[in-house]
Amino acid sequence: MSKPVISMHDVKKIYELGDNKVHALRGVSLDIEPGEFVTITGASGSGKSTLMHILGCLDRVSAGTFKLNDKDVSNLSREELANIRNKQIGFVFQGFNLLPRTTATENVEVPLLYSRPLIPAVERKEKALRALEKMGLSDRADHHPSQLSGGQQQRVAIARALVNEPSLILADEPTGNLDTKTGQDVMQTLLDLRESTGITIILITHEPEIAAYGSRIISIRDGLIVSDQANTRPPIPTESPSLAAVP
Amino acid sequence: MLTNPHFLNLAIQTLRRNQLQAILAILGVTIGVSALVTSIALGRGAQQAINEQLLAVGANMIVISAGNYQVERSQDSGAAPADHGFIEQNDSITQHLVSIPQQTGSYDLSHLITTAEYNPANTLRLINTHYEDDPNAEHDHPTAAERLGDTMAGLGAAATLTLDDADAILNQLDGVQFVASGVHENARVQQPGEGGRSWFTRLHGTEPDLPEIRRGWTFPHGRFISRSEYNNSAQVMVLGQVVADRLFGRGVSPVGQTLELWNQPFQIIGVVGSSSWVTQPSAGDDQFDAVYVPVTTVHTLLNLSKLNTITATTRSAGATTQVARQITSLLRQRHGITEQMPDDFTVKTQAEQILGDGLPPQVARVVAGNMNTVDNITIEQLSTSLQRANATMMALLAGVAIVSLLVGGIGVTNLLLLSVTQRTREVGLRVAMGARGRDIASQFVLEAVALSLMGGVLGAIAGVIIANSLEGVLQWSTNVSVLSTVLAIVVAALLGVLAGVYPARRAARLDPIGALHHE
Repeated sequence: MSKPVISMHDVKKIYELGDNKVHALRGVSLDIEPGEFVTITGASGSGKSTLMHILGCLDRVSAGTFKLNDKDVSNLSREELANIRNKQIGFVFQGFNLLPRTTATENVEVPLLYSRPLIPAVERKEKALRALEKMGLSDRADHHPSQLSGGQQQRVAIARALVNEPSLILADEPTGNLDTKTGQDVMQTLLDLRESTGITIILITHEPEIAAYGSRIISIRDGLIVSDQANTRPPIPTESPSLAAVP
Repeated sequence: MLTNPHFLNLAIQTLRRNQLQAILAILGVTIGVSALVTSIALGRGAQQAINEQLLAVGANMIVISAGNYQVERSQDSGAAPADHGFIEQNDSITQHLVSIPQQTGSYDLSHLITTAEYNPANTLRLINTHYEDDPNAEHDHPTAAERLGDTMAGLGAAATLTLDDADAILNQLDGVQFVASGVHENARVQQPGEGGRSWFTRLHGTEPDLPEIRRGWTFPHGRFISRSEYNNSAQVMVLGQVVADRLFGRGVSPVGQTLELWNQPFQIIGVVGSSSWVTQPSAGDDQFDAVYVPVTTVHTLLNLSKLNTITATTRSAGATTQVARQITSLLRQRHGITEQMPDDFTVKTQAEQILGDGLPPQVARVVAGNMNTVDNITIEQLSTSLQRANATMMALLAGVAIVSLLVGGIGVTNLLLLSVTQRTREVGLRVAMGARGRDIASQFVLEAVALSLMGGVLGAIAGVIIANSLEGVLQWSTNVSVLSTVLAIVVAALLGVLAGVYPARRAARLDPIGALHHE
């Protein structure tokens, strides 16, 4: 068996707010293998966002160990964490978070701007165009976000997450601002992506229907994992629920 | 990163999103930079005006005469102690000034000069002229021997200056701008033929560069001696205004006519007058009651090889004393004068010259005995105090410019802080995608620099326009230099860096999680 992408052991996260200590994570242990599509669900305040920040190397653990691709990242400096985010993690955020008045290609190039060693402009553009092509957006490369549909915008965001060829895609409520149909399109895109590249995807959502797309569903409550099970029956990719509901 | 179009594009977006604030911020920088450019232009203009005035007065002029009458005098007559310690006996100056004329009648040579306008200054010069003059009796002017009596003036050292000395001064001393060598005589010029009018006047053998030295000259008719006429020892003559008026009548151009000098025909090529009301041409003065011929022509006709004087100008008025000192040591070296021996020439600055010209020779001698000090407290002092006044004005203007630049900088900082707040989410996103603190910081600094540069370029243009209008409308002299304009734009860029530092640090220190969830 290959090494896990994520290996967490008894991770705790405590925020200190004045005199109060908030235990956001109370001891989470979790291994995620390459190629898994893990969805993490939980109510607001359950600790799923905190878990997501730690997984994304945006925050550090208070206790326990967290290995990303077999490397302990618990005690890295801000700069080292920035480098890991840049190289190994692709973020897809709620809301598209694209830069306005900037073309799709330029938006996709942004992570490459922060890569060290520096990537020459020509190579940046090539990589960005390749990532857009994967998302089927070659003909939209020069469009500004305002000229794209919601689904297209989210696909540009996914292309941006992919552009540096990370080992892990971290999606935080990617469908949060989308209507049901577009949301399903985006989920389908992620499924296809996993199918074609074998990339590991971790998706955080509070919607059970979205969580159902994962190959493994983890539920979290009060800073602890309450259920962690394989999902053997992911939704049929092409079928629309509204049509399925019709007898 | 700073050359990446992506980040420049962001700066433009900031500007578009907050147009009013951006315009105000840029306006602030524009005002500051234009104030800076204008004040530098005014300062430089004033500086230049002061310098030109001083140059026109001749503050930068140095006259080197053959012979050293100071040494000769103190040994010969003992009339006035010429040692430089004399100034310390301040209380006795008046006494000497009064008593000297009675003691030194032997220097009064006015009986030798037939012109009605006897000028004591000329007398002083005569003493300085060398005695190498051709004693050819055919000349209708007194020979050196006649004029100088025992011919011992200057201890026999008066034939000491050569054209080579003049070349050496021009070529070897950096501070020297122009040099004109001269031979000075008294001569009678007359219209050819029977009954032609004649005039006894000063004759200056000189070089084509002399008008560069005499800044206050104009040429109402014709021109000055050309280089080729100088090289060919041409028999050409430029008349002083007084001479032209006396011989040909006021306002009549004598150019093209002929005058006789030493029974030789000289073609008149020009008339020289004064452009300044301060030095109006008058009979008996040394500049306009005079005729000018090439020094080479005088040398040829009189079979001479020595010079009476070398006149030099310095590039800047303030350096006159220093250059005079350099000339002294250069000539001492060229003439092989050992340390104990006195100079065989006399170096005087224009300040000394002016004083000497206006005073009876005996008084001039007393003053000359303390020349170094007199020179220092007159023209150079004047120059310095004018410069100082100008510097004060410049400092004041620069102060205003700096304050307005500061205000402009605060405007830029304010706009950037607004931008950081508006773009908190974007900052969070960039950090998530791997941007380090310094990447974020330099992005905002770049934006500040871009905004300031816009203000800087606009300000530089505005400054040049304002400076030119001040010159046009108020007749203030201004001087816009490319360097100061470029400098002002660079200052604007630096201002941008300073103005961007604080907002950039704030952006770089944003908590990425908080920033990502910022609405």
